[in-house]
Amino acid sequence: MTAVKTTEAAAPAGDIPPALPPAVTGGARKRRRRGSAFDRALPYLLLAPALIAILWLIGWPVVSVFVTSFRQLNLGELVRGEVVWTGLDNYTTVLQDERFWEVSLRTVVFTVSVVGASVGIGLGIALLMRVLSPVVRIALQIAMLCAWAMPILASTTVYQWMFDQNYGILNKTLVQLGFDSFTGYSWFSSGSSTLSVVGLLIIWQAIPFLAFSLYAGLVGIPRDLYEAAGIDGASPWQTFRAVTWPEIKSLLMMVTFLSTLWDFKVFAQIWVFREGGPSGESTTLPVLQYLEGIAKSHFGVAAAISVLMMVILGLITFQYLRKLLQTEEGKI
Amino acid sequence: MLKKSAANLTGLALALFFLFPTYWMITTALKPKGSTITSDYDLIPFSVTFTNFVTAWTKPGFLSSLGNSLLVTLTAVVAAIVIGITAAVAMSRFAFRGRKSFVLLMLVAQMAPFEALLIPMFLMMRDLQLYEHLSSLILVYFAVTLPFCAWTLRGFVNGIPIELEEAAMVDGCGRWKAFQKVTLPLLGPGLVATSVFAFITAWNEFLFAKVLIRSQDLETLPVWLSGFQTAFGTDWGGAMAASVLFTVPALVFFLIVQRKMVAGVTAGAVKG
Repeated sequence: MTAVKTTEAAAPAGDIPPALPPAVTGGARKRRRRGSAFDRALPYLLLAPALIAILWLIGWPVVSVFVTSFRQLNLGELVRGEVVWTGLDNYTTVLQDERFWEVSLRTVVFTVSVVGASVGIGLGIALLMRVLSPVVRIALQIAMLCAWAMPILASTTVYQWMFDQNYGILNKTLVQLGFDSFTGYSWFSSGSSTLSVVGLLIIWQAIPFLAFSLYAGLVGIPRDLYEAAGIDGASPWQTFRAVTWPEIKSLLMMVTFLSTLWDFKVFAQIWVFREGGPSGESTTLPVLQYLEGIAKSHFGVAAAISVLMMVILGLITFQYLRKLLQTEEGKI
Repeated sequence: MLKKSAANLTGLALALFFLFPTYWMITTALKPKGSTITSDYDLIPFSVTFTNFVTAWTKPGFLSSLGNSLLVTLTAVVAAIVIGITAAVAMSRFAFRGRKSFVLLMLVAQMAPFEALLIPMFLMMRDLQLYEHLSSLILVYFAVTLPFCAWTLRGFVNGIPIELEEAAMVDGCGRWKAFQKVTLPLLGPGLVATSVFAFITAWNEFLFAKVLIRSQDLETLPVWLSGFQTAFGTDWGGAMAASVLFTVPALVFFLIVQRKMVAGVTAGAVKG
């Protein structure tokens, strides 16, 4: 149970001796020049299945979602196989809909708060783990592992049970503590309350990954830096600012980008609790896309929503990849 | 000293916070029928029974959805691993024109926002006559996990010195034999870690499983569990037992590779 070792485990994908990329080693180049036609074709043959699969199952849908967003495609057109082009109509429909803006704003607020809370607490726990005694640290790591490993639908079901109106352990505990108003209190009677519970569930499951990654980064900081700071008489805050922060900044950035990508796309938890309700108050963009596209069969309009989502996600992904390629530089 | 014990206390409180839902899931699952829905304050169970597990196991749909989940997940992961290895070897062991673009493509594909591709995927599966077929889910999960597998395995292959293969080839092995005898065995731990990752992704997936499959016989476990109220009503003991059964495979796999979990996702980032 030593998740402490994560830095070492980072080796397989992280620390590769620079001599490795055979693209630049002499042997490989010589082989290529001398190789038979088969040898030269071999890498392409090896890549072909993956390439075909990616172009077919990812590339084509990406093209198709753009194309679909310019079509009028409801159940009728779909069944008849009609192709009706409507230009930007789907986009104007979506963008003129007040509800879309409401849902977008809610999605952004939800994502930002969930990411902020989970990254912040994750960093706090990572810092805390360094000063814990080994027994407590391992207990905390096991507990976090349990939260992390639980399948999303299992944890969602457990949270539904814990927050149950009449027999949930939370309400019972609150009543025991003297808050009688929580007898039969419904946590899902408003959108903001529902989203808070969903947010708590997501934060609870997201923290372990964040804490473990950040802890792995912290463990990798050379000890003598801290010793030097100690000798110079730096306060804990100064030590954090001058030693820890610069070392962990880029890792923190990466996990923040990843969390944003993941939390923006959350569907299962929101859907299972209240299907985006009550009265649509906990609907976020992925839920709206589902409701328009699958529930109402307005595929064109839903595709326009998807495209708008992809633009946002694409911008975040682009930033993430730029950072990743900076740290991966020369290894590709 | 005081600071240290304050930190340890905070640590313990956090451990309780993270552990409680698991604890509550298991204890509720072990409670006898009738003692789950009570207004008594029952944080610690006094009598233990396994009837809830029997109830969950024999509920209509549980076994078939478990089977569907296993079938879909394992098929997709095996396919993604096999095709992922060939791509990984090509990317890491060969020098050829366009290599860099392939690697970049794999990286970008790994970040593809699948949730935003719901509509075109749905339309495509419908056109392919795969709607309402488990093969549609296999294709989607394969597509979701393939770039990740290829990318991660490339890292693991990179970690195995090419000199070992070259030495085997000097000793008379063909290229395939050298790979099979030298690289593949060394790749073992990486293969396990990668496939567990892929397994958990597919095991958890809900949105596509819900959209592409409507009939109950073909449901996967997440979708079945999301409708547990139709199966269990207010039988929370049964619902929790089903959740435990759903968690066990994921937890076991997690424990196998927990050391590699962090490394895989932030591969490259840790170096800072």
